[in-house]
Amino acid sequence: MKGLRGISHLSRRFYAARGGKQSLSEPLAGIKVSPRASHSFQDVHVTKLPSGLVIASLENYSPASKIGVLIKAGSRYETPDNLGVTHLLRLSANLTTKGASAFRITRGVEAVGGSLGVTSSRENMIYSVDCLRDHMDTVMEYLINVTTAPEFRPWEVSDLTPRVKLDKALAAQTQQIGVIEALHAAAYKNNLSNSLYCPDHRVGKVTSEEMHAFVESNFTSARMALVGLGVDHTILKQVGEQFLNIRSGMGTAGSKAQYRGGEMRHQGTSSLVHAAVMSEGATAGSAEALAFSVLQHVLGAGPHVKRGSNTSSKLTQAVSKATASPFDVSAFNANYSDSGLFGVFTISQAAEAGDVIKAALGQVKAVAEGGVTAEDISRAKNQLKAQYLMSLETSEGLLEAIGTQALGEGTYHTPEAMSQKIDAVSSNDVVNAAKKFVAGKKSMASSGHLANTPFVDEI
Amino acid sequence: MAARAPAATGRLLQGFRKWYYNACGFNKIGLMRDDTIHEDDDVKEALRRLPENVYNDRMFRIKRALDLSMKQAVLPKDHWTKYEEDNHYLEPYLKEVIRERKEREEWSKK
Repeated sequence: MKGLRGISHLSRRFYAARGGKQSLSEPLAGIKVSPRASHSFQDVHVTKLPSGLVIASLENYSPASKIGVLIKAGSRYETPDNLGVTHLLRLSANLTTKGASAFRITRGVEAVGGSLGVTSSRENMIYSVDCLRDHMDTVMEYLINVTTAPEFRPWEVSDLTPRVKLDKALAAQTQQIGVIEALHAAAYKNNLSNSLYCPDHRVGKVTSEEMHAFVESNFTSARMALVGLGVDHTILKQVGEQFLNIRSGMGTAGSKAQYRGGEMRHQGTSSLVHAAVMSEGATAGSAEALAFSVLQHVLGAGPHVKRGSNTSSKLTQAVSKATASPFDVSAFNANYSDSGLFGVFTISQAAEAGDVIKAALGQVKAVAEGGVTAEDISRAKNQLKAQYLMSLETSEGLLEAIGTQALGEGTYHTPEAMSQKIDAVSSNDVVNAAKKFVAGKKSMASSGHLANTPFVDEI
Repeated sequence: MAARAPAATGRLLQGFRKWYYNACGFNKIGLMRDDTIHEDDDVKEALRRLPENVYNDRMFRIKRALDLSMKQAVLPKDHWTKYEEDNHYLEPYLKEVIRERKEREEWSKK
């Protein structure tokens, strides 16, 4: 009896201690904390090893952990001789490695309820695994095997050809993907013009030797980052030092992207014309990059209220004056490590494509001439901040954010720091960004029934 | 008994093997040991994995042997496959296929 009362006394005492200004994410005052907990909690830790590998981790105490290996081996690092190799690599995550057969990797990951996947962009390839915290060692072993010691057995690689065709067929279903790929092919002369998908003439011809050569020259320690959510930083560091040191050096240096500003028209039968008009934008991490992002939100970056009339988007308002038929228009912004693209993406009825494109570009010109109020700018900043912070809410988004920052810059900017940077963008910066778009050489890509779609020199 | 075989019995064993190889007779029509292997499922999968040039050579040898068998003839003696030149090209692929099958069976037993 007395003991029970004693326990209820204890809980009241701790409640009183907490009731004050004690934060729930820090250890209670006066309690002896174990040495491992000496760093502050819920902070992202970034370490750069001497081999060049960057390790970033966040201990978020979640029951499921996620680990990713990010490598600067996107489609921009393909050469004209091995186009399509990154598409094949994207499909080869589960192929036999030196330590485990394909069957074992699949069943082993499934047995612990985890998942292993690959995402690739023009700049990076991300191999990620997630599973429950306790089984992390098992899946981490498979992840290391896949990224450092793949075997690319010739028959397994040739068995991937039907999957390449399936990927391409699925991509062809969405007109937007085709337009964006065509846009990059038109806008750049070299690396960034490479498509994320294997070109038609290379399907079935990418060989195991080409894949090995690509991995040898691009999957080097200096171009990798190891990122973990829900893992201890010291453990991740050990893994990085012991296992991800197989290939050192910088690998092949990527060439500088050369913007050329061309046009690609893909005549089709679709009654909707998808068109993208872009000019060279800002590189990732530069001072201008945030100005372009804010400009993107000033102009309109997708509807924020479902089935609403998109009144906050300047582009939508401008185009709705030019046509009464259904349309969609948004500003597009892409930042790469040494170049960028900024412009408008329009979807319109085939007969009115010209009017829609001209109205959209007219609106951007109006912004470049100073037609933007302080209210627009603050609205855009809030939307940009909200979009960034909300993307950090999911573990995939958070891993990608931490990873791309660790890989690109070697550090991580906290959300607070990013919000402050966004707030620091001035109205002048936004207007200058719009001026840069208006003055720059345009690239254009369009698809659909193009009879009424202007050429890039006519807009 | 065979474990502690000294050098003399080693040479004896090789001699016996050579005699048996020549007695089999398939070398007289230009075949190698792995050309004659019975094609069950494992062997079929291993054949699928052969590199193209090895597979083409195998096909050539089999065609030539079928032709000779139809004519009830053998190759001239200098064209007979020698025991030392017999290349067990299928063996590594077959071993790998069998290992993978055993791994799958082990896993499904669990």
